[in-house]
Amino acid sequence: MNTQDWPFDTVLVANRGEIAVRILRSIHAAGLRGVVVYHANDRLSPAVSAADVAIEITGETPVGAYLDGAQIIQAALQAGAGAIHPGYGFLSENAAFARAVSEAGITFVGPTPQQIELMGDKVRARAFVEKAGFPVAPSAIEDDDPATFVERAREVPFPILIKPAAGGGGKGMRVVRDPAELEGEIERARSEGQRYFGDGRLYVERYIENPRHIEVQILGDSHGNVVHLFERECSVQRRFQKIIEETPSPALTPEIREKICETAAGIARSAGYVNAGTVEFIYGEGGEFYFLETNTRLQVEHPVTEQITGVDLALQQLCIAAGEPLPFRQDDITSQGHSIEFRIYAEDAAAGFTPTTGPVLQWTPAQGDGVRMDSGIAQGQAVTAAFDPMLAKLIVTGTDREQACARADKALRELVLLGCKTNTSFLRQVLNHPAFINGDVHTGFLDAHPELANEPEVDALTLKKLLATAAAMTRPLRDVADAVPTMHAAMGAWRN
Amino acid sequence: MKHGFKFNDNEYDIGLSRSAQGYRLHHDGQAWPFTLQPGEEGGWILGSSAGGRRVIEHLAVAVDGDDIHIHLDGHTHTLRFEHALERLAQLNEAGAADAIRATMPGSLISLAVAAGDAVKKGQTLLVMESMKMETTIVAPRDGVIAEVLVAAGQTFDKDAVLLSLEPQDADQEQPS
Repeated sequence: MNTQDWPFDTVLVANRGEIAVRILRSIHAAGLRGVVVYHANDRLSPAVSAADVAIEITGETPVGAYLDGAQIIQAALQAGAGAIHPGYGFLSENAAFARAVSEAGITFVGPTPQQIELMGDKVRARAFVEKAGFPVAPSAIEDDDPATFVERAREVPFPILIKPAAGGGGKGMRVVRDPAELEGEIERARSEGQRYFGDGRLYVERYIENPRHIEVQILGDSHGNVVHLFERECSVQRRFQKIIEETPSPALTPEIREKICETAAGIARSAGYVNAGTVEFIYGEGGEFYFLETNTRLQVEHPVTEQITGVDLALQQLCIAAGEPLPFRQDDITSQGHSIEFRIYAEDAAAGFTPTTGPVLQWTPAQGDGVRMDSGIAQGQAVTAAFDPMLAKLIVTGTDREQACARADKALRELVLLGCKTNTSFLRQVLNHPAFINGDVHTGFLDAHPELANEPEVDALTLKKLLATAAAMTRPLRDVADAVPTMHAAMGAWRN
Repeated sequence: MKHGFKFNDNEYDIGLSRSAQGYRLHHDGQAWPFTLQPGEEGGWILGSSAGGRRVIEHLAVAVDGDDIHIHLDGHTHTLRFEHALERLAQLNEAGAADAIRATMPGSLISLAVAAGDAVKKGQTLLVMESMKMETTIVAPRDGVIAEVLVAAGQTFDKDAVLLSLEPQDADQEQPS
């Protein structure tokens, strides 16, 4: 698109971290001005550096600032932004925000508020998809008749999964294997749903054993065109949160791939879906798949799709928001090579994946052939408990899965973050596990292999190297050693 | 009491001395000679010998107070320096159980108690949120809340003191 043709010349990114940086890249590639809002905690972040203008927002908590739609719209008006890109999380799937943005005369880069309401509400989306003739799993929906919800939930074949109707990102989801625990788990899920989404409504569905998580990237324009950009497999999860995603899925045959991708495109078409979205499926060992939910936003794991299709998804989102027709048809989109994303989290895998905090004393992203790093951190910043612990994403691409894995191992070895513990050693252990190498994983894979989270063994020689380095870097020890140099040196090695 | 490092929940007594070329690490009854020099772009070069041959390795090191972070051979490790005197002091430390600490970084959702409240062992003190999940912190023993150090919505790091209990007397005083 020509720069003069854009209906807006400035886009505000209502987000932070790596995704703000990544969206700014596409805004700049389009020749547009990029504005970000930021909380004071993020003042030194790469997103603030990368933006043409950065406007501070405040809140009772740092997260609260990024959830304050009115304040963000005010900032957009102040900066002369004609469009707002919400990224993922925060306000990205908030229909009221999308509506308020439109009412302020600003273009929301995403689907319409009605589509967010329909597809973002798991219960309504599921009913819609079922009615349109696509496959969904056996379930019980609270809204159908709240008085009988627990009874109906008990009738769904166990094990079952409880989910918040308005949920996402694994928050508030609980597996129940024992019917006796059902009521307690429902209460806990309701409390979490209420707190995270302001909505305590729930539904339960049959939990498919050893399922894979397969999702399909969709793009729809405002002229009625919908295409899919193939699938992503996101089966390596801890606590229902994805940590490794790849495309193509090693599980799918070409026939099933076509079927699942066409189903996703069909669902989006039925909804008249506009902009980027993802249709998620649960995929059983027998090749059956059920609709799970639709994410009405750009996904964390979108880069793997970009790497194999060559399509800049964030740029396409801007073009679609500007009213442009899609520049390609389904047949024009091809998949080349294999791409895998690893989420770099500030967390201690060996301590139950608890979040870690600390200063970023050194940050050296991985480089090399097929390596892309989408990062939102910079040296001098601090990792705090205020935000989501995802710091960066490593995306590696090769001509085939084997090459992508080899490049990933090298990149995970080489990237350095000092000051705050991350999950990179854990990711390497997963990457080198025979099941992952064979592409034979399911969403319960990490639960079935808790040993992968153990601290890697340190051999005696490595321990010496670490203690020696630490000792030489520690002032009180070095001072003592330097104070008595020659005599003991002349005596040779003394014993202690 | 010697200087030491804490690493992966183990403690290691060590000493450091000068050698002709560099240093020696004294650990586990052995002396291990090595050199450590600054390299390019802020990295460090560790020299040692194995099987009579000199071995050179590149590593990244950053020091943050008593924490030494080291990236070596594809893994990152953190060692914590333990001053000899502080280690001695820790052995004598009493009443650590009076401080209710955060088991992980997070934020406070709700407080169930206030200063001055009497609590029973196992009673809910507060609910915190971490990793998008709620965690309930309960009283480790019977006692009285001495101080509340966090407010709802506040975020904190791991090991931050959230509440404290009034110290428990070793010998229960009889009511007069």
